[in-house]
Amino acid sequence: MINAVLVFNNAGQPRLTKFYTQLETSVQQRLISEIFTLVSHRPSGSCNFLPLPPLLASSSTSTVPSSEHNDVPSLVTYRHYATLYFIIISTSTESPLALIDLIQVYVEALDRLFENVCELDLIFNFETLHAALAEMIVGGVVVETQLERVVEGVKAQGRVAKRPVNEGRGGGLGMGMGMGMGGNFGWTGR
Amino acid sequence: MSSSAAAGFLNRGNSGNGSNMRGLVQFIADLRNARARELEEKRINKELANISLSGYHKKKYVCKLLYIYILGWNVDFGHLEAVNLISANKYSEKQIGYLAMTLFLHEQHELLHLVVNSIRKDLMDHNELFNCLALHAIANVGGREMGEALSGEVHRLLISPTSKAFVKKKAALTLLRLYRKHPDIVQPQWAERIISLMDDADMGVALSVTSLVTALAQDQPEQYKGSYVKAAARMKRILVDGEYAADYLYYKVPCPWIQVKLLRLLQYFPPSEDTHVRELIRESLQKILNLALEMPKNVQQNNAQNAVLFEAINLIIHLDTEQALMNQISTRLGKFIQSRETNVRYLGLEAMTHLAARAETLDPIKQHQSIIIGSLKDRDISVRRKGLDLLYSMCDQTNARPIVGELMIYLQNADFGIREEMVLKIAILTEKYATDVKWYVDISLRLIAMAGDHVSDEVWQRVIQIVTNNEELQVYAVQHILQYCKADHCHETLIKLGAYVLGEFGHLIADDRGGSPIEQFLALYNKLPGCSFGTRAMILSCYIKFVNLFPEIRPRLMYVFESYSYSLDSELQQRACEYLALARLPTDDLLRTVCDEMPPFPERQSALLSRLHQKHANTSDKRTWVVGGKDANANEKDFSLARNSGLKRAFSSTNGTMNGTNGGTDGHSNISNDLAGLNMNDAGPSEPKTLKAPNLASAAHLSPDWEIGYNKLLLKGEGILYEDGQIQIGVRSEYRGQMACVILYFANKAPTAVTSFTTTLDLEPAEKENLSWEVKGLPESTIHEGAQSQQMIMFQAKKVFGKSPTIRISYLAGALQALTLKIPVAIHKFMDPAELSAEDFFKRWKQIGGAPREAQSIFGAKGGKDGGREFTDSFIRNTVEGFRWGILDGVDPNKKNFVGASVLHTGEGGKFGCLMRLEPNYATQAIRLTIRATDDSVPPILIKLIEERLAVGVSTVPEPTEAPTYRDISDAFSNVLVT
Repeated sequence: MINAVLVFNNAGQPRLTKFYTQLETSVQQRLISEIFTLVSHRPSGSCNFLPLPPLLASSSTSTVPSSEHNDVPSLVTYRHYATLYFIIISTSTESPLALIDLIQVYVEALDRLFENVCELDLIFNFETLHAALAEMIVGGVVVETQLERVVEGVKAQGRVAKRPVNEGRGGGLGMGMGMGMGGNFGWTGR
Repeated sequence: MSSSAAAGFLNRGNSGNGSNMRGLVQFIADLRNARARELEEKRINKELANISLSGYHKKKYVCKLLYIYILGWNVDFGHLEAVNLISANKYSEKQIGYLAMTLFLHEQHELLHLVVNSIRKDLMDHNELFNCLALHAIANVGGREMGEALSGEVHRLLISPTSKAFVKKKAALTLLRLYRKHPDIVQPQWAERIISLMDDADMGVALSVTSLVTALAQDQPEQYKGSYVKAAARMKRILVDGEYAADYLYYKVPCPWIQVKLLRLLQYFPPSEDTHVRELIRESLQKILNLALEMPKNVQQNNAQNAVLFEAINLIIHLDTEQALMNQISTRLGKFIQSRETNVRYLGLEAMTHLAARAETLDPIKQHQSIIIGSLKDRDISVRRKGLDLLYSMCDQTNARPIVGELMIYLQNADFGIREEMVLKIAILTEKYATDVKWYVDISLRLIAMAGDHVSDEVWQRVIQIVTNNEELQVYAVQHILQYCKADHCHETLIKLGAYVLGEFGHLIADDRGGSPIEQFLALYNKLPGCSFGTRAMILSCYIKFVNLFPEIRPRLMYVFESYSYSLDSELQQRACEYLALARLPTDDLLRTVCDEMPPFPERQSALLSRLHQKHANTSDKRTWVVGGKDANANEKDFSLARNSGLKRAFSSTNGTMNGTNGGTDGHSNISNDLAGLNMNDAGPSEPKTLKAPNLASAAHLSPDWEIGYNKLLLKGEGILYEDGQIQIGVRSEYRGQMACVILYFANKAPTAVTSFTTTLDLEPAEKENLSWEVKGLPESTIHEGAQSQQMIMFQAKKVFGKSPTIRISYLAGALQALTLKIPVAIHKFMDPAELSAEDFFKRWKQIGGAPREAQSIFGAKGGKDGGREFTDSFIRNTVEGFRWGILDGVDPNKKNFVGASVLHTGEGGKFGCLMRLEPNYATQAIRLTIRATDDSVPPILIKLIEERLAVGVSTVPEPTEAPTYRDISDAFSNVLVT
């Protein structure tokens, strides 16, 4: 199953954190920064898969195995678009390439919903971000992969507000972060 | 972009409270502009102080909390507000409430008690969007309690014919979540209904239900085995027949996710024995391989195609019977691991590791050994790891040395992250494939010397275990360890090893050059100051053994004990004092007993393997294989590995107990614990599974009125087996020797199409070796109104059988409809009437003789004459002929009697001659029936069948319609019957 979906930018700031297995807030934050460190240091042309850093795995390698039926995540699948990293943490029983495709569909869906999505859209419309994710993944399992239906599903829940980006002074800083996903869905480094 | 968005801001805000949300926008903007964490904290605290619920809109408040939460702050205090929003009537408020709940709360959270009722209300609401919100919430935070309260509603939404597809698919996965939390929630009788949903026309529903079924099938393969055929058939329909919704084409690949799911589901079952199903799967797999031959330029298409391809490869490896496909993939994999695409290299190595885990021979993999070794130098650490896994798996006696050699070279430059795992794997390979004791010792010691800090305790402890148990190793090992200990730089792990081995076996080299007692003593003594307390304690233990072994250096040893008897560490001090006392005893009897040679360790599973596999146990979906070659996968259930080590134990294993002196320190007590074999985690969930589900296809669950058609068809080759308002089932059959060809016709009489049409054949397990069958095709999954579908089944009577097979037919016509019927295939159908002269008949009759090759029965009509049933000459004649006897007229002296002969064909039993004599007494309405056959297994079965049928008798009043005429049948099947 899928244990978590994370989105963060090139600076490691989280834009979306969705965990399908429960974790302490502090552990979540540590995990995000650990994964960010791992992922951001990978050379271009590397594959999209990584074993999970030992933070989460640590609970499972302790000498006393928990008797509980635990979902032990072991695979990190990630994809890098312009300024954002999309991360899926899953168990090893998921097909890794299918997860990559899933990220792609998610990004395309966001692009549809926001008409040329940029990082700021994600910041100001996090509930839409979650709604789109909810259309695609339920309880850690893929539920829908068809782009149109995901978009329809989100739109059916109410109009997607394109909240503004008039941040006054901050504008100059944040504006340049457009994800550049309009026409060219190129993978970076490829 | 920004300015245009800003211009449209007021229009785009949620109507009604768009202006209200401006505060949220400002808040977020402020936080974004905060340059430092402290400023962010300040702003958040200000906002938190500002919030007074009376004035502020709750929704906005919760939204702000959400944003704060995303940034990683704790917002426990706001949870109650979020929960309150759930019961709002307005969708937008409810939505935020649910979102907050799924993000803030976890399944054990106490606030969840408060929301169960709100969720139930939303599940029952007519608004599907509300249903979805509620389902999604359960799927995120549902635990046992919620499952018990709400699983019924979730199930209802899943199977209700009125549920919309987008509700159904979420209900399926919500049920999956609840099942994972608490398996008892899914009731056994739901199985058939859930499986039938895999045929849903909506791909999203099919995908979700397949995920659900995959999880259920892992725990109850028997109950969900129907999903195997469904998955195989759906695969074929998508791939070969091109039957899929056009909008599910993802970069020209038809819904790769569902393909992957189906392929994976198939891996959770043993390969089917049904040739038709195997053919379906083979066809699909071949199609996937062919499609993958063309390398599309588009990255996405390539990716999706490969996702399917790699899962198909996994399935082919799992099936392990498709030699042609297997050959294709091993050449294909050879190319993959040299691919320029990193992802493909990575997955190629993984797939090859899977192949190594299953394949009979490693030869196809060994061809690529140099490339695989090269992958250890890949730029990408993920690929290097996979390379390591593969090298570990492909190792055997012949290539162990070069592979271990390469691994040792690579170990020096390997990333810290994988060194420990590498050390473990090298240690295991060295032990497993060691043919030469020297090689084992060399490599093990070099490994420990080289990897030092990355050597887990299990590794050096295992070396001690092996050296202790193998006499021929001891001298060589002790010599080399001493060399290492003498060196200036020696890793502490080696010193621990040295302390133990020298203490036990030091005397073996005491006469060698450089191995004298004093040199052994000094080697360890020089290291003493730099070691941890645990290691020092081990050295002290070694020294007390020296006191026993080498009396000549006793004074120096006593000096060490004396100085340590003042140690600040209580453990060391205690040891030193105890050893001093022991050494100073007037006689050395006790010392000798205490320091006696260690008995060999009892043979146990290697702690190394336990250690390695700890990491793999306990995933939500079970893995279908583990890294580590064929023997690692030989017994999949408990992941037990490599019981027979390459090194033969020199001593027979006895249950030696640890010597008293050695207990106490960390190092020593760990040996006894760790080598006792760590408990393996059980891969499956620990909870006992639910009650065994009934096999609905079995004869115990026959539908009402099954016998009407069955009885008629016992005496005829074709006719209607069953009919009701919705469906008509006809049979045509033909028998030749021991073979039977039965065609079932299913006609839909309902006003609408029926979907997910499924048939399952069953027979009592004891009879399966007597009667076998082969399904030549499956009926269409969807039968439109007025249309018909058919299924051909070939039966073979191998031996005499007594029970007829049954068939379970299920379909969706709104709700699930299901029938279980007996197929009119009985032993007499395999008989051919024979002609015999009177002389021959009586000659054979006598030859066969009486019991046990004779059966006789005297019976009357059921209910007697008063029951309105009687025997008549024509009835008996028809019935007997229907049972395929050749009636021999004029053979019996009494003209009223019937005499018959026939030949029964079976595959394995051969032919049996059967003779029958039937003596009716019309006055008393009784029949005496005698059957003799050339084998004693035949008469009792035949006589039972015939008696049952004859006893029904014929009605005293003529029945107007006895059976459909040939015309009726040909009308009913006009479009398929060839007359």
